[in-house]
Amino acid sequence: MRVNVRSLRKAGFLLLGAALMLLAGLSFYNSRHLKEPVVLGPSVTEVKKLSDYFEGLEGTINDANVYVLEGQEPGGSVLILGGTHPEEPAGRLATWILAENAVLEQGRLFLILSANRSGTTVTRLGGAYPPDYSIETPWGERTFRMGDRWSNPLDQWPDPEVYIHYPSRQELAYMDIRNLNRTWPGRANGTLTEKTCFAIIQMIKEEKIDIAIDLHEAELQYPVISVIVAHEKGQDLAAMTSMMISGMGGFDLGMENSPHALRGLSHREIGDHTDAISLLLEAPEPMLDATRGRTDRKLLLEGKDEFVVKAGEHGLLFEKIDENGWPIDVRVGRHCSAILQILELWTEDHPERGVVVTSVPRYAEVIENGTGAYLHDHRKVSPARLRFE
Amino acid sequence: MSMFQSTQIILAVMVVTYVVIRLLKVSTELALFFAALAGALAGGAGIPTRHIVEGAFTYLDIILIFVTATLFMNLLKESGGVAFVIRGILSRFHRHRSVLFVLITLLLLIPGALTGAGSVTVLITGGMIAVVLHYMGIARPRAAAIIFILAGLSAAAPPVSLWAMLTAAGVNMPYVGFFLPLLIPCVVLALLTIFILGWKGRPVDLEKALAELPDAPAKMNWLKVILPFLVFFAFVLAGRIWPHSLPIIGLPMMFVAAAAVTFLLSPVKLDFLKVSRETIHQLLPLIGTLTCVGILVQVMTLTGVRGLIAVTIVTLPLTVVFLSLSVVLPVSEAVLMWGAAPVLGVPLVLLFNTIGLNPIVALAGMSVIWPLGDALPPTAIIGRLTKDTVGMEESYGRMLAYCLVPAVLIIVTGTLMVVFSKELSFLTLL
Amino acid sequence: MIITILYYVLIGFIAGLILWNLFKTRKWQDELLYVIILMPFILRLLRLK
Repeated sequence: MRVNVRSLRKAGFLLLGAALMLLAGLSFYNSRHLKEPVVLGPSVTEVKKLSDYFEGLEGTINDANVYVLEGQEPGGSVLILGGTHPEEPAGRLATWILAENAVLEQGRLFLILSANRSGTTVTRLGGAYPPDYSIETPWGERTFRMGDRWSNPLDQWPDPEVYIHYPSRQELAYMDIRNLNRTWPGRANGTLTEKTCFAIIQMIKEEKIDIAIDLHEAELQYPVISVIVAHEKGQDLAAMTSMMISGMGGFDLGMENSPHALRGLSHREIGDHTDAISLLLEAPEPMLDATRGRTDRKLLLEGKDEFVVKAGEHGLLFEKIDENGWPIDVRVGRHCSAILQILELWTEDHPERGVVVTSVPRYAEVIENGTGAYLHDHRKVSPARLRFE
Repeated sequence: MSMFQSTQIILAVMVVTYVVIRLLKVSTELALFFAALAGALAGGAGIPTRHIVEGAFTYLDIILIFVTATLFMNLLKESGGVAFVIRGILSRFHRHRSVLFVLITLLLLIPGALTGAGSVTVLITGGMIAVVLHYMGIARPRAAAIIFILAGLSAAAPPVSLWAMLTAAGVNMPYVGFFLPLLIPCVVLALLTIFILGWKGRPVDLEKALAELPDAPAKMNWLKVILPFLVFFAFVLAGRIWPHSLPIIGLPMMFVAAAAVTFLLSPVKLDFLKVSRETIHQLLPLIGTLTCVGILVQVMTLTGVRGLIAVTIVTLPLTVVFLSLSVVLPVSEAVLMWGAAPVLGVPLVLLFNTIGLNPIVALAGMSVIWPLGDALPPTAIIGRLTKDTVGMEESYGRMLAYCLVPAVLIIVTGTLMVVFSKELSFLTLL
Repeated sequence: MIITILYYVLIGFIAGLILWNLFKTRKWQDELLYVIILMPFILRLLRLK
């Protein structure tokens, strides 16, 4: 009899465990396989794959779409990376707005919406991130995957006990071997994350990219925030952008030089290893702060948090925050305006290599109309003009 | 209700649940799990299945290291290798107490320094060293204290210090410049500890010791003992020397390789499955704690409790922050283990950086203090492991009492490193 | 690639050991704890997380 009771108890525990695993497993599966529609904008002439530039990525999860937007007039080429860190959604959303709306008059724009696609399919352990978030649009909601800072271990496993960066041999924390912004310039025979960087570097060389802009968000307690970080080749361009935006763009955007001691970052290595100017934009994201309170979709989208405000009152933050928080539209709008400003200044100085873009909203417009106003109804588009991330 | 009030209530619910469950004589691990569940319910998150399971994943890779390292050591023990080594060390060095101490310090520091886990030190060399210390006339609680403190320092010691690494990664700082700021205090404090706690003993009675120690199998020899370790270190070194030419092996598979060599070379026939099952049974409290702490941290983050704790500490007056490091760091370690690095390490390092201290040296100082918490409840994970490995029958409190003097030395050193981090910044060689 | 497969084998092996111990143990607390620690092993094996 006792044996039976024990067996029943074991079976009960196992069933409970199985139920937990089933429910959580379904949630993990669904967020990894959630399809994010992209309505191709008027200037998108081609959607390439990263494997077109480096075969080693073919068939892998990180064989990302590369949206090519071309103008009537020849000019330069600019690459914009969204989703280097998929836990920083404003960067991805800004590239979405560009892909669905930008009209190119001169030059070419290359957009990658999921630079580390693997990282978009997993959320941070211990981070309690929501699996996804939805942006309100005039025609309904568009749902996006919330991601992580690192590639998914399902795609790259195991980690070494210490990550030694290639080629500098700088020692970094072990999990940063899955951090796309620590693995530049990448290696052809490296890990998935290193191969991804390698593919993008090949693309930058092959397509003769003039400027590569990497979009990020940062916690307010982190010193590098609300800035444009520039490789020495892009110092003048970044300084002018910072000045113009801070003067007339409606918000403050600082400027920092890419340090030589920090290896593996896009603003350092793309500039060092290719002819392109490398820039990185940071917007504030309170959901990344270690002092944040309740972590949910609301915090992700509204960026309001009492605890972060309190840390600010004690002078612990590098960016201001009040009860209005840092809503997603503000963060996306900052990226849009900064990108447009960079392109304008670049085109002024290099008319023959210019990249002229219209129909992309600026900061004030994104705030006024909302990010969703620039996402088009994918249900009403012909399959030929639809892609999925 | 403000976020402060609501999260304070959630925190209170979690603490009360934990205490009540413990009073019902339920294990620490399950109490942590139920505290997490209660926190989620109080926070209005229901039973957040996704977050519970995601939290359970937090330390999966570290669990794999523990399982494989312990399996390796258990196989070595079963093969007679451990007895062989102890007999060898005692025969060779029984007249030279100081030499023995330095040797023991090295043997205890290396495994944890390489893996970042104090428990690996306890499991790999702790058992053997305990026997050696016993024959040096050092009582079990005192020996346990030596092994515990040195295991903690080994975890903090470079090249792999998980607290420093996890915090550095959390503040986007490269893990460079930490070697000397971690190595010097760890080695000095380890030597001080062993000489202070171990000095009062008696000379080794070699004949008695050898008679009492289990016999090593006749066919056991130094090569058979050393080869598995050589295989392990060869993998570690190869990964360091040719990181870009070799595939990533990872610590767990390196330990599996060492275990395989031990199994193949063993002079006695080993029941691999039996040893494996016993290893899992032996590690259940450790694996259980890591898994449940992962779940707890996830729920704390979800409900905002983690932020409440972090913001409360970083907004204290600076002098209070410095003085409270001695309590806050060990206690956070005792509750969250490595989870303490992202929860407290990140905001503290950012705070120190903001006020112009050297973040590397300050973080190194904090990393030296953190492991002390591994002896404290609720988890007391390494403390419990040490007590079991040493085979101490006296009360756990006896071991803690002996830890007191070295612990004070460690806390003072670590705190001074934080306060004077700017002056000590030359140690980073940057 | 081979190493990654070896890791899945290791995960499967440990999951097997946990299940074995779960069936053998007589303490309810250990049973429950074995079930909790089993979860990540199973979901990794199924490549869900």
